[in-house]
Amino acid sequence: MIGTALLSGATLTGLVATLLLFRGYLRRDDAYATAVVPLIGTTGALLVVALGYLTYQFVVTDYTNAYVWNNTANYIPLLYRVTGVYAGNEGSILLWASLTAVVAFWAARRRGIGSPDAKLVQGLTVGIATYFAAMLLVDSPFTDIAAEFPEMNEGYVPLDGTGLNPLLIDPYMAIHPPIMFIGYALMTMPFAIGVAHFVSTIRGDGGIFGDWIGSITRWLRASWLFLTAAIVLGSLWSYRVLGWGGIWAWDPVETAVLIPWIFLTATLHAVMNYRSRSTYATLAPAMTATTLALVVYATAIVRSGVFRSVHSFADDGIGFALLLLLAVTTILGIGLPLGYWLLREPDASSGESGPWISRPNLLHLAVLGIGLLGFVSVWGLTFPVLNTYITGMEVEVTDTYYNMWSYPILLGILLTLGFYMDYDVEGRRRALLSLSAFTAATLVAALIAPTEAWMLTDTGPNDALFYRLIGDASVLSLLPPVAYVTLTVLKRALELIPGSPNRHYQFKQVGIAMIHVGFAILVVTVALSYLFTAQSSVIVSDARQEAELNDAPVHDVPDSAYAVQVDDYREYQRPADPDVRDVALSVEEVTARGESIHETAQPVYGTVTEINQGPEATIVQLDDSPIWLGVVGEGQESVDVSEGDQVVGVGFVMWDYLPDMSRTDAVVVAEPGNVGPVTNPPEAVDQTRVEGSAVGLTVYEGGDPIGSGSAGQEQYRQQGDMEVRDVFVDRGLAHDTYVIAAVDDGTASLTIRQIPLMNLMRASTVVLLTGMLVVLLFDPAYGLARAWSRRTDQPNAAEAETPSDD
Amino acid sequence: MTPKKIITVALLVTALGIGYYSMNAAPVLSDESHTYHGDTTWGTDVEGAMETAESEDKPVLVYFWTTWCTYCEDYNDNAYVDPDVHDRLDEFVLLAVNLDDGSPEAKQLQQRYNANYPPQHAAITPDGELLMEINGYAETDSFIAYLEEALTEWENR
Repeated sequence: MIGTALLSGATLTGLVATLLLFRGYLRRDDAYATAVVPLIGTTGALLVVALGYLTYQFVVTDYTNAYVWNNTANYIPLLYRVTGVYAGNEGSILLWASLTAVVAFWAARRRGIGSPDAKLVQGLTVGIATYFAAMLLVDSPFTDIAAEFPEMNEGYVPLDGTGLNPLLIDPYMAIHPPIMFIGYALMTMPFAIGVAHFVSTIRGDGGIFGDWIGSITRWLRASWLFLTAAIVLGSLWSYRVLGWGGIWAWDPVETAVLIPWIFLTATLHAVMNYRSRSTYATLAPAMTATTLALVVYATAIVRSGVFRSVHSFADDGIGFALLLLLAVTTILGIGLPLGYWLLREPDASSGESGPWISRPNLLHLAVLGIGLLGFVSVWGLTFPVLNTYITGMEVEVTDTYYNMWSYPILLGILLTLGFYMDYDVEGRRRALLSLSAFTAATLVAALIAPTEAWMLTDTGPNDALFYRLIGDASVLSLLPPVAYVTLTVLKRALELIPGSPNRHYQFKQVGIAMIHVGFAILVVTVALSYLFTAQSSVIVSDARQEAELNDAPVHDVPDSAYAVQVDDYREYQRPADPDVRDVALSVEEVTARGESIHETAQPVYGTVTEINQGPEATIVQLDDSPIWLGVVGEGQESVDVSEGDQVVGVGFVMWDYLPDMSRTDAVVVAEPGNVGPVTNPPEAVDQTRVEGSAVGLTVYEGGDPIGSGSAGQEQYRQQGDMEVRDVFVDRGLAHDTYVIAAVDDGTASLTIRQIPLMNLMRASTVVLLTGMLVVLLFDPAYGLARAWSRRTDQPNAAEAETPSDD
Repeated sequence: MTPKKIITVALLVTALGIGYYSMNAAPVLSDESHTYHGDTTWGTDVEGAMETAESEDKPVLVYFWTTWCTYCEDYNDNAYVDPDVHDRLDEFVLLAVNLDDGSPEAKQLQQRYNANYPPQHAAITPDGELLMEINGYAETDSFIAYLEEALTEWENR
């Protein structure tokens, strides 16, 4: 009730705020302007409180809420109870809605809603938050548990939840979703500004992109920062989850998240190239407006069940609502700018073709190149569906498709980037020379493959010519472009930074250099670590016995430098110490519920105080009370319990079942198999959720111990026996050692992978993220540091921002 | 035409080319009544497969797969191109169930044999009785051993 009230309130205030904003925009007046910001604030506050309330219900495992019941269980520790909040669609959307409303409120507070343009932008942003809130009223995260148990009496509350998806029980998964949704929420503002720009242009008001360029840049950079962090965290998670094929496997869901990221990267470059009405007047705002459409596209794919993959742990009605939102954002984000470009865009100053090599042209090439890279991913997700729809034939999209197309495009982008950086400080002639040299080196390197492992992929004669051609190229071809980028970026940084008097400009250039070098190193480490992962296995058949020994034998792993020693063997279950009170009622509770549970199946427990055996039934008294547990069944009249035993059983509560027996108010009538001692309960009330087995290992490399830890697997008994592996990873300087163990009945079957360059890869993502943080903060034109300090000095100065040269 | 427009048109054409080429080059997984895995051809019609099995007196091997499962690709690259595997597979009526295919027959099989994730194999009699199952990926050697086990089970039945 509380939850629904909060959501209704948020929808209402959001709707009123949106309508007032659009009214104010259309009529050009400020009639209700003073009410709007508090209304937006209220919407945000109500959504945040709703999110907090849902989290609270999770923490206290309030199973009157069906969503809580579906996504957690008593045995789950506090951290993962909290993360259960966004395990399903409804909770995720609530998180997204809250964050969007907070962003809207923040923007309204800082920028105000004085101008008509600001009203339009705010109207769109608040409108989106309101749409989310309304979606939640239809598919609520506060649905009453009665919806799950229509056959039960009113007021029925299950004693335990169904559990959380095992894949989500992971520290990375605890922070990946919130960070991603922050990134998504931040993208709402650029979307609104981009759309408002076109509305304003079409209405003849001249567009707003130039005035808002500072805001746009900051919102885009911030959301890029969060989105990148989210992808990095997601990859680290998938690295540890077996079956997801390492940090990246082109699973539809991974691809779907990569698409907005690539596009956002292209948009950032496009916005850099925006020069009021002369250059990029259409493209930059259009791309800005499209980003959110792609986010929704990605989410619709993940959540609507168009592609069923490991991520589709929650697909239901919200899929349709997302598809609708997708249609609307696509029309506003892509249709509107394209229509404008076709019909209204004034012809570029005629006759002047200009030089081919110039900074705007190179940036344009970068934008298009990154766009092309994004297209490969979009197309890979789209064409199988298209193909099935058109021809009825199902085709396969493998990582060969993604890798073989993305690789040459990526090489082209890197070479362009190197050329741009070089051209910026060295001028045309020298830059062209070095470009030719590095391009030639790239082509030559593509032909040099010392062994087959250096080739990009295994291809067979049945593969298409293009795939065979690229697949046979050597990964060495990546090194010249990466070296080119690294050298030219560093050279440019050294040229620009020391001479500048402006501290913030220096910071920004450091940040730019970090981002681009970080990216180049990321690319090369990802490629090399994939190609040069080595794998070997060994079986330790007496793992259980060896774990007991003081001096356990060390097993060499064939065809590798590794050896392993088993020093621990564990079989365990969770909850480790199940409490019968979590699943069954005491006699007091049965008495208290009285008639309301008459003739319903209920689990009960108690200590046996008397046994009364009849010809076709046995009844046992629980806790010296008038509540008895009865076993009825022909030939099954005896039960294997004795007085003093703690028993638990599931059966139908029958009041006045034996009116002749004075001390018997109720009998819980159970089938023989449904009664047992608490220590070994019948299956219906067995609380074992997880059965795990693991070995403790010491891993040796070249004779020296490099690390020890445990590896094994866990089986989730009540979730389709889903199996999750717990791997042991040792992070070495040059390579990771990754141990997978299948532990069963005393035997451990171990697979050891040596994955090179993982630490360099991790470091490169840190450099990438830090670089963007520095740029976001210290950009002399649009940095947060400047925006904030200026804000305190002179209000409204942001209106006077001018695009800078860089 | 400014250089910018020429570059734009060139890259648009490239994108269209990539789209067209890749769509045609993508390996076909299925047509109306078959799916293809490695060098093997599997039926997709559940009832048809059961009837064939009945009349030819063969067990049915059900393969639960999806288009996005990496272990299924491993099967395609290893087991399903191996002649020894082919010899064993000839003893079965092959039936492939795409877990993403929403048809009621597929759902039923999926539930009956508890196939929650790809890849899984279940060898069954024409009546649907389970002979053997493989949950997840098995290396080619053990894959053959599993098939042998199912065939022995079938002979002894």
